[in-house]
Amino acid sequence: MTALAITEMTNWAVDLIDVRKTYRGRVQALKGVNIQVGRGEIFGLLGPNGAGKTTLVKIMMTVVKPTRAFGTILGRPLGHRGKLARVGYLPESHRFPGYLTGAQLLDYYAALAKVPLAKRKANAPRLLDRVSMTAWANTRIDRYSKGMIQRLGIAQALMNDPELVVLDEPTDGLDPVGRRDVRQLLLELKSKGTTVLLNSHLLSELEMVCDRVSILVDGLVARQGTLSELTERTLEYRVHFKGQVGAEGEKLRALGGHLDGDVVTFPGRDVGKVNAAIDVLRGAGVLIESVQPRKLSLEEIFVEAMTAKPNPRGAR
Amino acid sequence: MQFWAIIIDSFRESKDRKIFWVMLLLSSVVAAAMFCVSFQPGRVDIMFGMWTIETSAFTSADGLRADRLAAVIIDGIMDHVLGFVGIVLSVIATANFIPNFVERGTVDLVLSKPIPRWRLLLYRYLGAMSFLGVQTAFFVVLTFLVAGVRWNVWLPGYLLSIPLIILLFSFLYCISALVGLITRSTITAILLTLLGWVIIAGVQSLDDMFVLYPDWQKSEAAYHTARTARWIVPKTSDMTRLAKRWGHATNFLFLVEPETTKDRELVQRAEKQEAQRAAMNPVVIIGSSLLFEVCVVLIAMFKFSRTDY
Repeated sequence: MTALAITEMTNWAVDLIDVRKTYRGRVQALKGVNIQVGRGEIFGLLGPNGAGKTTLVKIMMTVVKPTRAFGTILGRPLGHRGKLARVGYLPESHRFPGYLTGAQLLDYYAALAKVPLAKRKANAPRLLDRVSMTAWANTRIDRYSKGMIQRLGIAQALMNDPELVVLDEPTDGLDPVGRRDVRQLLLELKSKGTTVLLNSHLLSELEMVCDRVSILVDGLVARQGTLSELTERTLEYRVHFKGQVGAEGEKLRALGGHLDGDVVTFPGRDVGKVNAAIDVLRGAGVLIESVQPRKLSLEEIFVEAMTAKPNPRGAR
Repeated sequence: MQFWAIIIDSFRESKDRKIFWVMLLLSSVVAAAMFCVSFQPGRVDIMFGMWTIETSAFTSADGLRADRLAAVIIDGIMDHVLGFVGIVLSVIATANFIPNFVERGTVDLVLSKPIPRWRLLLYRYLGAMSFLGVQTAFFVVLTFLVAGVRWNVWLPGYLLSIPLIILLFSFLYCISALVGLITRSTITAILLTLLGWVIIAGVQSLDDMFVLYPDWQKSEAAYHTARTARWIVPKTSDMTRLAKRWGHATNFLFLVEPETTKDRELVQRAEKQEAQRAAMNPVVIIGSSLLFEVCVVLIAMFKFSRTDY
């Protein structure tokens, strides 16, 4: 087996190492980003405005030239044209030519991606149907609403039957039904083995579909991992009960609990305190309804990452 | 596949502009006006005889003088209608092709496709020229047919004006493309292209004056500077001369009737100048102009390849 074949067989669809970008005027957008996206997974790219997410995506798609970058996309070096033909891309704030119809636009961008005519003719109606745009296929794009343009953009990103799809804010401009459709589409792609890299501000959306996420802060990876890895840390325990605790409430407070009606909350991960509290509650003759550990939400991880110092080496 | 996708897209963009259809309409009006003119021995009838001009300039004992009619069509109508008005309108209409192309949000998607940037820009550049290509072909073929059908004057050489006019436009459009790429401003691209055209025309006219007034050649430094400058810039006026030569058109000066000796001398010198220019090697005219264009386009490609969008 050749070295090239071995490289192509790596599990990473995207393997970016030490990606740096300094724009003119010495603005450091990326300061050494390491990101790995496994084949067939949905990967979320998170970060506040100006964190460098879009620059990173543009470097992957050869729109922006990196100051320094190593790594591969689909097993080949960044910018490899053969592999670019296997990537679907929806840029953020894209502008499509208004003089084209939806069908013409799909054909145009697919031809630029070297998709053969027969495949273009087969894929266009199928994808227009998939994004509920069949009725508008022969209407000029300048008559489309923002949501329709976004749906068309998603369809164009899939015209080449990509192995990797890079979507920058794909639900921008979509209504709740449209967002749900996009989520379903992403899960369909995943089920077919397509890798999806998703750049979005909407944490709840990412939480619903992503296998792994990376949080970029100030041009560096602050957190990276599976959602369960990132959210496994328990924040607090909540004990729900029924009945009056009376004077035993002081004992609960002494254990560090916050009593609020029928709920007592214990911050941190000290299970011993929770068990002691249960003893106190039973002693008071109340019924324990449930004990719930509350884990970090993606939003809390995001906020925490923004305030903490990013890890310059990223998380591999 | 990628080439044709961009060419077809550029043509669709051209068609979307009102000016595209206005220019086709203007060409039709010119052709219709030509159709209303007929040549009779000793006179020219306009609007099917509604007006008459007494002249024997276009007829001889053998019938119509094709070389003189060619001069009217090529030197008069084509040079001024298509070669000036058409090109100015085309410069205006195509000036935003490149700025639109490199607009943020539009350029991202095309740059992500598996095609080298230099080729992307080159295809787009050629695509923009489809605008004038269609206009020129329409105008020349229409007027060619009118001359043939109405006057029975067939000028196959006139059809060579199509590539010549497209080349002429391309010499100016390369300036527009480079300026549009750097500044991303349509207005700046139009203004600097027209300014460039004025400078190019000025350089050629200045060199022509040295031929027209041989006394000027005594100032050797000025003469050699003008000669060198002419070699560097695209030879737009020589392109029109080539069109006349290939269209077998006579010198348009036949319409001038000098009244004084001084006028006659001037006309003779102008004829000499025209003869000298007409004798220039077409390969040199087109080749040196193309060299200028290639240099400008290469600069644009280099800039496009190095820019982050």
